Amino acid sequence: MTYRRRENWKRFPELKRLKDLSTPPKEIYYTGNWNPEIFKKCVAVVGSRRMSEYGRRVIEKIIPQLVLQKKTIISGFMYGIDQYTHQICVESGGKTIAVLGWGINVKLDGYDKKLANKIVESGGLIISEWEEQQAAHWTFPARNRIVAALSSEIIIVEAAMKSGSLITARIGNRLKRKIWAVPGPITSRTSAGTNLLIAQNKAQMWIDSFLTSEKITTGDPLLDLLSNEALTTNEIARKINIPVSEIGAQLSLLTISGQLTEREGKYYLNNAG
Amino acid sequence: MLVKILSVANVGLDTVPVDVEVDVASTGFPGFTIVGLPSKAVEEARERVKTAIVNSHFEFPARKITVNLAPADLPKDGAAYDLAIAVGILIASNQLETSAKIDLKRMFFYGELSLDGSLRPTKGILLLGLFAKNKKGSTIFVPQPSANEAGFISAVTVIPVISLSQLVDHLTDEKTITPLKYSSLEKFIDEDYIEYDLAEVAGQEQAKRALVIAAAGGHNLLMWGPPGTGKTMLARALPGILPPLTPDEALEVTRVYSISGLLTPGEALLRKRPFRSPHHGVSSAGLIGGGSNPLPGEVSLAHLGVLFLDEMPEFTRSVLESLRQPMEDGVIEIVRAAGHVKYPASFTLISAINPCPCGYLGHPKKECKCTDKQIAKYRHRISGPILDRIDLTVSVSAVEVEKLSLTNQNQANRLTSIQAKEQVVKARKIQSKRFAGLKIYTNSQMRNKEVKKYCMLTADSENLLKVAADKYNFSARSYYRLIKSSRTIADLESSEKILPVHMAEALQYRQII
Repeated sequence: MTYRRRENWKRFPELKRLKDLSTPPKEIYYTGNWNPEIFKKCVAVVGSRRMSEYGRRVIEKIIPQLVLQKKTIISGFMYGIDQYTHQICVESGGKTIAVLGWGINVKLDGYDKKLANKIVESGGLIISEWEEQQAAHWTFPARNRIVAALSSEIIIVEAAMKSGSLITARIGNRLKRKIWAVPGPITSRTSAGTNLLIAQNKAQMWIDSFLTSEKITTGDPLLDLLSNEALTTNEIARKINIPVSEIGAQLSLLTISGQLTEREGKYYLNNAG
Repeated sequence: MLVKILSVANVGLDTVPVDVEVDVASTGFPGFTIVGLPSKAVEEARERVKTAIVNSHFEFPARKITVNLAPADLPKDGAAYDLAIAVGILIASNQLETSAKIDLKRMFFYGELSLDGSLRPTKGILLLGLFAKNKKGSTIFVPQPSANEAGFISAVTVIPVISLSQLVDHLTDEKTITPLKYSSLEKFIDEDYIEYDLAEVAGQEQAKRALVIAAAGGHNLLMWGPPGTGKTMLARALPGILPPLTPDEALEVTRVYSISGLLTPGEALLRKRPFRSPHHGVSSAGLIGGGSNPLPGEVSLAHLGVLFLDEMPEFTRSVLESLRQPMEDGVIEIVRAAGHVKYPASFTLISAINPCPCGYLGHPKKECKCTDKQIAKYRHRISGPILDRIDLTVSVSAVEVEKLSLTNQNQANRLTSIQAKEQVVKARKIQSKRFAGLKIYTNSQMRNKEVKKYCMLTADSENLLKVAADKYNFSARSYYRLIKSSRTIADLESSEKILPVHMAEALQYRQII
């Protein structure tokens, strides 16, 4: 893909937020059609590389809402939460900016390449402060400062205790950006960082309208069991006194009829959204 | 003087008669030569035979001795010709005069000699016995420690020999050896005991159900899950829930073990279904058989039993690919310089794979350290053609110990191997009735033609399958695989038709990688 340099980026008003940084980038390179409009209302959605099923569902839930509010979604183009954020944003018809953790001229392949093309085609941008820099341990935190600086709000979906997303949050706090963290179960490793941000008052808890919605009971013991938590077939078999063969058959039927979703062996009820 | 003694050579599982011609010349320079394409082990028979004769208090003739193993163009291997050569030399040098009762034309000598003149356990006795059965009124002289292998072969007199001097006493009628008592094959088959009970594995209700289906329909199974969740224990429990070996099957399995020399001396017949679990470092010769004189590999040793490949993606790709022929045909043909042999290799494949290279992807407690690319690469190591031959896939998830209350399990899902076996035997009976005369024994062996003929789907099930095919993007192959496994589930429930519940359950075991 062809890329360009934003000559003397400090002249451009849409990039003035970058000047908030103590060490602003020297250069800005980009791929895509530069449209100053998309920098106006930016929300960063970032998180762990190791996305859990919970994180996936959070993204599927909040990104379409943000797109509806005409926000531009910024993220870090790393696999996991970041890439899924870009993907869902593009699929929901939104604009997204991907800030690379490596040089703009580093060749992409496979899924990365496909996603980058989709972002550009949908009117989004791929940007980086380097031209030829290879990804290294230090490039990702450096990338995070740009993600934080460009956006006015930062939502952290899932982060473990040592996640790079916490660096984004720290920089965001310093730059006086609004920080949101999506709470998670205290048993989940990938939610430990986000829960900690909330506990330490460094981020506001992101909650959603479904708190108020009532719990639906169906009378079907299987669906009732799954309305509380996602379970594997084995766990269900241990909880209710039905032969595993029947449980399996029912799970298949409910999945095919669209009432359940199965991912990585666990079954989720589909009415939460 | 020239003597001809009968013995045999085992080429694969075929037995070929070999004439051991021994000539002790009256003139000429002393020497001892063996001809007839002997291998190193046969060549060395010279030293063993010479010493054994001397140590049995006979004289080793200081004359020109020539031994010919005919047919001369067949390569001979192993130490089993020792006994025939020794007897030949003793007769040809006039030290042994056989009594009138002895008819050398109907006697086979087979066994390895020890330096002190006693006989050592020798492999392949069962094959010799089966061969001699076809020659009316034969007698076989075999080492006493391995003689039991031939104990259930009727119409053959089996003489268990302890030492060379004892054999000479027998041949001269000075002191005869009592022949081995014949006992019928059925006598050896008893209720095989269960080594690993399903009840020992904590949790994993779904995987146990999958094992029952695999056992009932002869389906290959792939287990998928992090380390330490019981994959190996589950696989080991499979032989215990398969129907017991029939006498014919037991004989077939024992033949392979006899030729490999893997029978414990004194053991007569294998009664357990074999369970083979080769390490992932195995070579393709080790897995499918090979060597310059080809011996059976793991696939043949697992014949009519279970071949368990733990950490399947760690096996070399070419090794895995070599499984394709045996999985398709149930036999393996090995071609080497020494010849061309065929071994049976009809097994149930159980493979276990971790979800990612480090093994902890999706583990509730431990962190996975693999990148997405590593995971994709790991899963791609198993080729499509192999996966195509695996009907059932089951996820064996990590069990959080605190969730396992061993005492408080639900009644509906408590399954012991004995119960499982009953279900399996019942389902197999239905299948053998269905496939009578077709050379097919289990649902997994059905080809598309049979699937169309024997797998009647109700309209509802067909509809369900269509919707599922659309949702999960099935290929034509996985479509047929699903029908086959739903056929087995229906058999387990003794249902003639495949009902939607059966189809829905089969969908649980569709391939996910």
